[in-house]
Amino acid sequence: MKVLYIDTSSSFLYAGIVENGRLLVECQKYYAQDLSKEALPEIIKLFEISKVLPKQIDKIIVVNGPGSFTGIRIGITIVKVYAWSLNIPITTITSLEAMAISTHNHKYYVPMIDARRGYIYTAIYDDNYRPILLPQHVKLEKVLQKLEDINDYIVITNDDIMVHGSKEQYKPDIVKIVNFFKEKEAINPHFINPSYLKLTEAEESRQ
Amino acid sequence: MKDIYILGIESSCDETSAAIIKNGCIDIATVISSQIDVHKDYGGVVPEIASRHHVKNITFVLQECLERAKMTMDDIDGIAITYGPGLIGSLLIGLEAAKTLAYLYQKPLIPIHHIAGHIYANSLVKPLQFPLLALVVSGGHTELIEMQDHFKFRKLGGTLDDAIGECYDKVARVIGLEYPGGPKIDKLAVEGSPTYKLPVPLKDDSYNFSFSGLKSAVINLSHNETQRGNSLREADLASSFQKVAVKSIVEKTKKALQDTGIKRLIVAGGVAASQGLRNEIYKMADELQVEVSIPPLKYCTDNAAMIASAGYYAYKLGRRADFSLNSLSSDKLQ
Repeated sequence: MKVLYIDTSSSFLYAGIVENGRLLVECQKYYAQDLSKEALPEIIKLFEISKVLPKQIDKIIVVNGPGSFTGIRIGITIVKVYAWSLNIPITTITSLEAMAISTHNHKYYVPMIDARRGYIYTAIYDDNYRPILLPQHVKLEKVLQKLEDINDYIVITNDDIMVHGSKEQYKPDIVKIVNFFKEKEAINPHFINPSYLKLTEAEESRQ
Repeated sequence: MKDIYILGIESSCDETSAAIIKNGCIDIATVISSQIDVHKDYGGVVPEIASRHHVKNITFVLQECLERAKMTMDDIDGIAITYGPGLIGSLLIGLEAAKTLAYLYQKPLIPIHHIAGHIYANSLVKPLQFPLLALVVSGGHTELIEMQDHFKFRKLGGTLDDAIGECYDKVARVIGLEYPGGPKIDKLAVEGSPTYKLPVPLKDDSYNFSFSGLKSAVINLSHNETQRGNSLREADLASSFQKVAVKSIVEKTKKALQDTGIKRLIVAGGVAASQGLRNEIYKMADELQVEVSIPPLKYCTDNAAMIASAGYYAYKLGRRADFSLNSLSSDKLQ
């Protein structure tokens, strides 16, 4: 079973092709800008290096957010058009799940993504990677308060977020992520959409 | 000769559109998903909301287009995409979709400038003949462009500030008309008389336009009338505004036609739908014995048919882009 994994939700492009638990090829590349220019060429490189054809992929797992709105849309648009046109089963996971699952040996996993103005996107997962706090857009200080009641947690982030306790850089374990989600139910590609966890400013100011 | 089918994709503002055009002129299928109802509540297009809707709509629009055409991607000869100018977040959705399809089906990717698309909307009625003068009037553009051949553009002039469509929408807001107000001004103008005095913008020797002063004049007039306790005669204001706005456009177009000696005028863009503008253009063209072409209303506003039509001629000229093609919020017409 060949699985294509794609995450464009941050300043990094994380992508890879996994076949039966083995990583055939991967890409972990930082983008200050121009992800729109480079995302597809990088994905094409994965196919070329692994000698896998796009139609030979059995499943696509795509990160649908939260994170950079534009970044998520670039990855989602590529894979939803791909899955729709070649009829490839596709499913979504959150960036927060991917971050938690790539980390090991703690009781609780707390991925954090900077959402600016004192807010973050976060969730809390237990040692079986089940969410005990669902993904949300929330004030950092509110989460820090919550963390005071928990022992043995690790914060996973690539952003400059001030937290107490231990903190780890996010480095995706693509094989582990794929193994964890490869059986997750496929979604009709038409309904593959970003999960922003946040309204647009225009919508917020109307409320 | 083999028929050429181009799939066009357009997402530069608030319309997600896909079309299949045969030989640059025959509309096999055009699908447009408009977001007007979404943005109406905000009085204009909200870029982030527009981008979100494009992602939701893109595969539905593509599928419906292929179904209506009774075709598959294998029947397509090339994919034409609006790469700019426009709202960057919106453009990106169409762009990534087009690049992905071009890669998966090994089809040529043809980059199209949005304004070239508006001009080529006319070739859906009749093939373009050169030389010609193109007047592009829309929410984002007011330009006079000379063409000596396919994709040979020479800009004679353009707006120095607001685009004409933008000005229509802003004036509509002063009058209290719902977004998009431009077409409503056009209708309302017929019911009124041009009794308010407004300045004709930028009366000079250039081919340029300026509408921000006119917009301010309308805002000030409305404010002064309110101060004096007079109620605004909305139809008269619409009529007064349209009279000077159209006059400015028609005079500059007339000057360009006279100076260049060109005998063919094409009008393109959303504001080409304005009856008030059309009437005056036809009158002026009659006087100069210039042949005028204005596309049907459905091809005036943003649509992918015009992109596919332009795409056909660009395809013939061998214009191609690779998969690193990026969206540009502004770019010179080429």
